[in-house]
Amino acid sequence: MVTINKQKKIGTLLRLPLHRPVLIVAIAAVAFFACRVSAQAQDNNAFHEIETKYIFGTFTVGSSTGIESEKAFEPETQAAFGKRGGRYATSATTLEFEYTPTQYLQIIGGPIVSYYNIRNVPDLDDRNLATVSGFEAEFRSVLIDRGPSPLAVTLSVEPEFHSRDETSGAKVVNYALDVKLEADAELIKNRLFLGFNLLYEPETTRADLGMWSKESTFGISSALAFQIVPNVVVGGDLWYLRHYEGALFDSFTGDAVYLGPTFYWKIAPKILMSATWQAQIAGHEQGINAAFDLTDFSRYRARLLLEFEF
Amino acid sequence: MKKVALLVLLGAAALLPIKYGVAQERAAALAITVKDHRFEPAELRAPANRPISISVKNADSAPIEFESVSLRVEKVIAPGTSGTVNVRPLAPGRYEFFDDFHQQTRGTLVVQ
Repeated sequence: MVTINKQKKIGTLLRLPLHRPVLIVAIAAVAFFACRVSAQAQDNNAFHEIETKYIFGTFTVGSSTGIESEKAFEPETQAAFGKRGGRYATSATTLEFEYTPTQYLQIIGGPIVSYYNIRNVPDLDDRNLATVSGFEAEFRSVLIDRGPSPLAVTLSVEPEFHSRDETSGAKVVNYALDVKLEADAELIKNRLFLGFNLLYEPETTRADLGMWSKESTFGISSALAFQIVPNVVVGGDLWYLRHYEGALFDSFTGDAVYLGPTFYWKIAPKILMSATWQAQIAGHEQGINAAFDLTDFSRYRARLLLEFEF
Repeated sequence: MKKVALLVLLGAAALLPIKYGVAQERAAALAITVKDHRFEPAELRAPANRPISISVKNADSAPIEFESVSLRVEKVIAPGTSGTVNVRPLAPGRYEFFDDFHQQTRGTLVVQ
């Protein structure tokens, strides 16, 4: 019965006018890249070194810190979809300026523009709003250079200010500090890469009542990326996240496992894009007897980044 | 939270002078020319664990951008002029470089 319903649903989707062009474009893209893969499979000289920072889809970040004196503009959008009920879609676009002053250090910063479309979600107010919601900066420093060992590690420290709650869109004063260890290893030269991130994000928030509350998130990720044709990388990204009340893992509230595909395309020497879409495939919320943690996390999340170097 | 943030920032700050201190050593000087969209020589050699200074001469009539992902350097060089690229001390290995304006123009730095 479930299968029949699913087939009916898929059939209905394919009949919708919006999905036909998407399907045609997807099939054409797969055919295009498949042809290029077969044409270049025997020519490994066509594959050159690649910066690993964005090849894992940007939830997991690679260790590359860019090229000395390089400047770039990077609009990066993170979206979240799905809560326990109702309609939930939010996005936060960071208009980042990236600068690499030395061969060891990268500095990034920019304002955040958020959009909230929330309706009939339990425990959240309805909201349909687009607004400037904060500012973030990021400092990335190389800890271990890729050398005799194929492993490279970078430390990223990212202070953030938010004037809107990232989940609900309510007015708040929020300070957060994203601390990440970003590691990757080159398994096959210029072709296959393994990424690994460790995340600790404490934050403090003052909401309507004027009280400050602290929370923290711990995360660990693993991602695989394969350069199928020169300048095009595909892969998968797996994240495990744990959320706590208190800045130092005081009281566990829930956890989530996300899994999804990643796509990276260096469109031109100075332009690239990186995208990923992930679903919460497992999770648990303290005190709730239901699948997933949909209070601390969303059912789906996605990221799209464009980089324009100048 | 403030203590944790402070510790992280101090840790990051403490790591930087170590790297920059190493970079104060005398650099190994190398020279390369771009002519007819080719690097001459196509392969450079340098000692390991010492800073490297590469003088790049553009003998072509078009501008070039000397660039390398693994060396983490880039420099635009106008036609008929030269530029210097400073590279941090490197571990032994092969490091690719190329002209970002003419991607088929490629060479290798061999560090031993």
